[in-house]
Amino acid sequence: MSALRALTGRRSLTGERRTPAWYAAVTALCLFMLVPMYLLVVNAFKDQRDIVSRPFSLSPGQFTLEHLVAAWNNPDFDIAFGYAVTIGLVICVNIVSIGVCAPAAYVIARSPRPVFGAALLFFISGMFIPTQVILVPVIFVLRALGLMSTFPGLVLFMASATVPFTIFVFTGFIRMLPASLDEAAAIDGAGPYRTLWTIILPLMKPIVATVFILNTLSVWNDFASPQLILGPGSGLYTVTTGVYASVGEYSADYTQVFPTLLLAVLPILVIFVLTQRWVMSGLAAGAVKG
Amino acid sequence: MALMSASNTDTPPAAADLPREGGARPRRPRRPIGRSSGSRPRTSRWVEASMVLPALVVFVGLLVVPVGYAVYYSFTDYNGFPTQTPEIVGFDNYVRLFESADVRGSMVVTAIVAVAGSMVINAAALGLALLLWRTTRFTAFARVVMFYPHVLSLIVVGFLWSAILGPQGAVNSLLESVGSSPLPFLSDETWALATLILVIAWAQFGVQLLIYLAGLQAVPAELLEASRMDGANRWQTFRHVTWPALAPSVTVALITSMISLIKTYDVVVSLTGGGPAGSTKTFAYQILAVEFPKRQVGLASAEAVVLILVAAILAFGVLALRRRHDQGVQE
Repeated sequence: MSALRALTGRRSLTGERRTPAWYAAVTALCLFMLVPMYLLVVNAFKDQRDIVSRPFSLSPGQFTLEHLVAAWNNPDFDIAFGYAVTIGLVICVNIVSIGVCAPAAYVIARSPRPVFGAALLFFISGMFIPTQVILVPVIFVLRALGLMSTFPGLVLFMASATVPFTIFVFTGFIRMLPASLDEAAAIDGAGPYRTLWTIILPLMKPIVATVFILNTLSVWNDFASPQLILGPGSGLYTVTTGVYASVGEYSADYTQVFPTLLLAVLPILVIFVLTQRWVMSGLAAGAVKG
Repeated sequence: MALMSASNTDTPPAAADLPREGGARPRRPRRPIGRSSGSRPRTSRWVEASMVLPALVVFVGLLVVPVGYAVYYSFTDYNGFPTQTPEIVGFDNYVRLFESADVRGSMVVTAIVAVAGSMVINAAALGLALLLWRTTRFTAFARVVMFYPHVLSLIVVGFLWSAILGPQGAVNSLLESVGSSPLPFLSDETWALATLILVIAWAQFGVQLLIYLAGLQAVPAELLEASRMDGANRWQTFRHVTWPALAPSVTVALITSMISLIKTYDVVVSLTGGGPAGSTKTFAYQILAVEFPKRQVGLASAEAVVLILVAAILAFGVLALRRRHDQGVQE
């Protein structure tokens, strides 16, 4: 690859040169993508009049922390609490999802019994269920189980939504691992649980990482499920439902909108920038999910 | 039994369609009939069942059973109160669904969002993937910039853009300062729908960009080199070398974008609230924010069933098309 690049000099594989026009185009596109973020940051420090009259201006002399502090201390939406709930959800959903799917995928991938082939098809058929539109019947099921408006109820539903895809990719991955590994473990007297835990699972790190990233992003960004399942009665809210509750009613008051949104996105953006290589390669590996 | 267990070791139908390695994977040779599992000691069926059961319970309990309930409620007049016994009303809800101008409108909006949105998303993603094909420090940075909106939840994206494009928003204030009249990004029916689609595209094309970037890895470098040697221009190279190699990625990117677009809900809530005059009310918004609060569980369930069917037809239809296309290429 590098030899080829050396041969072709500055020309890329497509044959196009990295011309100034190319740099200008990519830079302009990057700026376009970043404009909303710029507006979000600078306007979080301004007064309403300043935001409305000069939204693009950057004058640090007139910056005020007043509205950011007010947003942080908003009694209706404790951002730290929203973050804590959301992070708790991410952790619990991943544990439940990976915890139930790894053994199931292991059996499906390894057992010669035809029933497990049918089970795989059954699980895969769930992949295309648009989860948010079945929330209405999910509410009745959770109510019957006594889990409506509770954290465990939300975790179980979110985890169930991840099961089809997780089993699908786990099974595909385990099938690529040599079966002689299991046979050797079995001859040494290890049962299937032990083989899974000590031999298979450690080899599954890359696919577990992919699933973890996908689950995390979908749980983090989910709005409909926490909105309907947690409801106002539970006293729990995630970042998304908290933002909705605090910004939704006051969307004309920009001194509330911008600081609240900034505080809501800042941590996840920092996490993303620190882990972007990992997140993007994981997503590319599992991008079939959509 | 032996035959079935042999087919059990094959890749599942969907797996064969995913462009994992970009090219066709050699199939595993089938086991000879009559020998089911080789010399491997068999695990007890109870142990195996105990390993599958937890996943099955979670999946069936909270995904399959609700879908079943949605189908059942869609044939009843249920209003969601535990005291009411749902009464079977046959296809009434489905008839109402197609007769109501409101619901039909939301179907049209969803179809427009899904088709136009996936066009915009895929055009943007493919174009940018071609621009950012080679990995350098600069393109790696640009990819992160293109992708970052994907980690912002759509509810935040909607509020942010409504603050930017609203009547008093940043863009209109800029337009005013240069002396032109404000644009009705969110207050005119046609404008609002276009704005919704473009905002979704801005926020969501990152995944498709990654799919295309991964797909470009499968473009054979020798072919590119050869076509250039033969004097093909950039368009000819794209049309005859890059595009054919990208075909599987295009299918996957189209399906994934369409399937996620027919579920559009969050961004409608925060950007337009379905307005003005219902012009941006999507089907999922109709279910969750209109029918459900009105306790029309029967109607909402019928709508959910329709959406599930459309998603399934879309997914399997496009997969089948691609399979036929692949076979056509091989023959």
